Amino acid sequence: MRIGATLAATLTCALALAGCGSGNDDDSPGTDPSARPPAAGELVIWADDKRSAALKPFAEKFGSENGVTVKVQAISKDQQTTFVTASQQGSGPDVMVGAHDWIGNLVQNGAVDPVQLSAEQSAGLNPNALKAVTFNGQTYGVPYAMENLALIRNTDLAPQAPATIEALVDDAKKRKIPESLCLQVGQNGDAYHLYPLYSSAGGYLFGTTANGDYDPKDLGVGKPESIAAFRKIAQLGEKGSGALKRSITPENSIATFTAKKCAYLVSGPWAVADVKKAGIKYDISPVPGFQGGQPARPFLGVQTFYVASKGKNKALAQEFVTNYVTTPELAVALYAAEPRPPALTAAFDQVKGQDADLEKFVAAGQDGQPLPAVPEMAAIWDPFGKAEAAVVGGADPARTIAAAGKTISAAIK
Amino acid sequence: MTRWIQQVGWRHLVGVLVLAFALVPIVFVVSAAFNPLGTLSSSELVPTGASFGNFTRLFSDTAFGRWFLNSAIIASVSSIASVFISALAAYAFSRRRFRGRRVGLLSVLLIQMFPQFLAIVAIFLIFSAVTDLWPAIGFNTSWGLILLYLGGALGVNTWLMKGFFDTLPRELDESATVDGATHAQVFFRILLPLVAPILAVTALLAFIGTINEFLIANVFLTDAGSKTLPVGLYGLVAGERNANFGMFCAGTLLTAIPTVLVFQLLQRYITDGLTAGAVKG
Amino acid sequence: MTATKLGGPVAPVRPAPAGDPGGGLAGRTVKIVLLGLTVAIAVWAAFPLIENEMWTGLAILLATTAGLLYLYLTPRHIPLKYLAPGTVLLLLFQVFPVLYTASTAFTNFGDGHRGSKQEAVVAIQTASVTQVPGSRQYALTVATTGDPASGPLVFLVTDPVTRQVSAGDADGLAAVPPGDVTVGSTGRVTAADGYTVLTAGQASLRSAEITALAVPTAAGAIRSSGLSRAYEGRAGRAYDEGCDCIRDTATGRTWTADENVGAFVGADGDRLAQGWKVGVGFGNFTRVLTDSAIAGPFFRTLVWNVAFAVASTGGTFVLGLLLAMALHSPRVRGRLTYRVLLVLPYAMPSFAMLLVWRDMFNTDFGLINGLFGSDVDWFGGSASARLAVILVQLWLGYPYMFLVATGALQAIPRELSEASRIDGASAWGGFRRITLPLLMVALTPLLISSFAFNFNNFNAIYLTTEGAPFPADNPANGATDLLITYTYRIAFGGGGAQYGYAAAISIFIFLIVAVVSAVSFRRTRHLEEVHS
Repeated sequence: MRIGATLAATLTCALALAGCGSGNDDDSPGTDPSARPPAAGELVIWADDKRSAALKPFAEKFGSENGVTVKVQAISKDQQTTFVTASQQGSGPDVMVGAHDWIGNLVQNGAVDPVQLSAEQSAGLNPNALKAVTFNGQTYGVPYAMENLALIRNTDLAPQAPATIEALVDDAKKRKIPESLCLQVGQNGDAYHLYPLYSSAGGYLFGTTANGDYDPKDLGVGKPESIAAFRKIAQLGEKGSGALKRSITPENSIATFTAKKCAYLVSGPWAVADVKKAGIKYDISPVPGFQGGQPARPFLGVQTFYVASKGKNKALAQEFVTNYVTTPELAVALYAAEPRPPALTAAFDQVKGQDADLEKFVAAGQDGQPLPAVPEMAAIWDPFGKAEAAVVGGADPARTIAAAGKTISAAIK
Repeated sequence: MTRWIQQVGWRHLVGVLVLAFALVPIVFVVSAAFNPLGTLSSSELVPTGASFGNFTRLFSDTAFGRWFLNSAIIASVSSIASVFISALAAYAFSRRRFRGRRVGLLSVLLIQMFPQFLAIVAIFLIFSAVTDLWPAIGFNTSWGLILLYLGGALGVNTWLMKGFFDTLPRELDESATVDGATHAQVFFRILLPLVAPILAVTALLAFIGTINEFLIANVFLTDAGSKTLPVGLYGLVAGERNANFGMFCAGTLLTAIPTVLVFQLLQRYITDGLTAGAVKG
Repeated sequence: MTATKLGGPVAPVRPAPAGDPGGGLAGRTVKIVLLGLTVAIAVWAAFPLIENEMWTGLAILLATTAGLLYLYLTPRHIPLKYLAPGTVLLLLFQVFPVLYTASTAFTNFGDGHRGSKQEAVVAIQTASVTQVPGSRQYALTVATTGDPASGPLVFLVTDPVTRQVSAGDADGLAAVPPGDVTVGSTGRVTAADGYTVLTAGQASLRSAEITALAVPTAAGAIRSSGLSRAYEGRAGRAYDEGCDCIRDTATGRTWTADENVGAFVGADGDRLAQGWKVGVGFGNFTRVLTDSAIAGPFFRTLVWNVAFAVASTGGTFVLGLLLAMALHSPRVRGRLTYRVLLVLPYAMPSFAMLLVWRDMFNTDFGLINGLFGSDVDWFGGSASARLAVILVQLWLGYPYMFLVATGALQAIPRELSEASRIDGASAWGGFRRITLPLLMVALTPLLISSFAFNFNNFNAIYLTTEGAPFPADNPANGATDLLITYTYRIAFGGGGAQYGYAAAISIFIFLIVAVVSAVSFRRTRHLEEVHS
């Protein structure tokens, strides 16, 4: 009897609540747009925090011009993995913003679609940037900004740009500057920042095929050239001249420079804002190479807009990426939010007058090489960095690099 | 005097020593937060300048207030709910004898040991479907994240509470049962008030655990308006290598405030709860 | 005082008699409201399931709701009444992910092998579509011959040179008489007789159809590139069901599907990058056992891992307990201030503080060497790096133990310890014989779980040393690496993300922790039965 009463009461209550609940859903679609059929399509864009903030006004402008809703969302960490995983499960964005060296991995996961640029659009892009987003003969995204390392120097402490790395070290020692060089190494190395010196000393990561693409089958790490290169790097290390040291980390390299503890900083366009804020007089020149060595080749990185293969609104995403991102207005605005050289030549020409640093960075990247986009590159970063840290710390280059080469080729296979 | 040292003095000595250990890194963060050129690379504890620039920029340049609110809501709701769920289960594990009890206890513990970074894929799998069907509890909603967190309510905290239920004499509920109390009355009226201190401790632990959770919140919340403090703060340092460390430190300090407030709020239960409860009835 | 039993005072609380109308009614009302809410939520949840015709989901929902209703309306199954809420959530958000992850251990799930074969084929074909050499890009207008929301789609394309407008659909391209159309300045058609031009908003709702529409031409097909441009493209590779292979339309080269590796493999062993997920049986497990990179340093890593977990748990426990004891006296002035300040390390976001600590250990610029005037290369040497990470864990973790121990000490009646003092026991003796055993009853389970947590404490290492220092000849395994960070590096470092492999390694680690925990758990049985 008691149970019967309880049950009856429960059901009544439940029905009442359910009634209210569903009534609410129908009455207030404003709070929950996905509850009823949308009036227009929705475009979801993912980027990191900095870029999503810069992108927001322009994405919204695109939205209002076309009568669609545009959502810009920021992914703070592991953007690439999050994008691939979310896409695979159907929760990914329509457009992704990221570095061009993701392409290899994104393609093997079927996460991005190629874009078909018209001849004029292609011609309007910096050729290096266009080359960077080309993978297996296809263009996989629209580049909008470029970045590469350069030598930033405090002109009060070091008026002259050094011609070689040896001259740089001598100069710093002569002027009794506490640190010769702020080039981040960290406890586990940093292949990206070391690469200019490594290439100048004759080392390479992957060989190239006849058509200029990277060839993952020809691994340069562990080859005699790489060991020779690391012998030269060891001379700059803690047991050598001390220009490279593990205590200079990604966190403190720029700060040490802005604190005037070192005269030379190897960094990219992202460092300039801090340097300016600290009120330091600076100049930008190419990263110097070893005396008698090859030119130092920094990696070229290209920030790219991708069309997600598994996006819900691909036609709109294609429209945004191929026909909106390629306009100079957007590129200039993105530059204003974050001063890196625009990949669009028209935009670059527009802003170079007001920012002398841009051309200097581009000049520093003259000998640069696009960051390899092949998926095999993922196997390089970690072992290469650790080998660097070990050699800088005084380990035997031959043994260290041979071991790194072995680890990398085992992972690639 | 020696007596004082024996009985009270050593207590202060321990307290002060540990306090020094506890506070040095925090002072370091404070110094960076007030340093206009915010960096973490200083070997000095004293800030080279003092300004509230990092704090004001935090509110003007980011959605910090919104993150703060989201975090406070998510952490409060899920810690209260999780303490309640945990207490229910702890009671069953401690007071009731049923088949699979010890296996259940052990499983609850073991499940927590599976690496979370692997579970991300499965979380996407579940919540992609949930978002399609019930957007109100899908990605980018506080409710969805709270639900996900409550999946872990039956975990370490259950163990903690069970341990405390175990210390309460069984005669207590047995005599109540003899007097005709139902199991619910025994639980809500007798046992819960007695374990108030540990409820408070657990609530605090759950609150801290939730408000600092990053790994899942990072993939779950992508809308700028839905983010929590750790996700938003991490974005400050992740994007631009070095630039925002000052703001990051300022944000880190502000993040500690709700926790300290909750601690203050719960402190009287932690310190006085049991004895007071027993006397007042 | 005689009534005070070991472990806690008897509360003078007496429950209301069962017949008490006030308590019973309130309890029943709460119960009814909660159950009603459950049903309401179930009804709310059912609608989308019905709409999407997901009958299995609906059946599970109904069964769960019915089960819950039965459980709380029957007087039986009392333990389950208390366990159900937590268990349902646990099953959904913990057990399912764990089982799902464990099941991937038997597959090649990972980068390049995430989706189905169908998805791989689509990806390969899409990636092979290139513009027909010498063809032009058209200005595109998406139109329909019917209703904008559902009518058949037509591409109105304008030739950039001749300005000729053609209408294309899946059947092919047909010229439109110039008099019937209005062409805007950009070359796009703005109006056409017999067609309704879709606005961008309308078109965006039919995105999938627009992307799928290919207007066949002699050389290939005209496809959209966004909503305002179209190009004539040709797929360079196509799937051939006959040979279950991908064929290059230009060279005729083929890659045959290999279901063992989940990839299309050419005659020379060359694989196409886009693969799919296949079962590999125990392949990942045998690989764990035979991979020299894992087997070699495994034992060394395991020993350090156990040491790390024991030191982190033990250290924080001892320090936390010591502090709690020290402040557990009404004679200590400023106790409240002490407590607030002492839990501060726990209140700060741990990932942020790990980064701060890493910086403090910097050899040349770190605060620690700066404060002590030392020159220790903390993360450079095995011993110092290990000491450093344990020290950081101590800092992060002692407030937890301090809080718990404070709570536990409060639960022990003061009379008890004071009584032992009167009996002539020394303070230490009283602590050891009476307080500590009681504390252990409450805290042992916690110590086990804390051990388990620290055993897999990924962030503690990943955000500080990242495993450093590494021997010069082995960049894969560092001195402070835990099994979990080591797994992460192997599974996500080199060959992209290898979830299947990572899951297999995790299962091995899981078994180790499970055995350790289960054994120590067995030993807690006697503690638990103190009062029964």
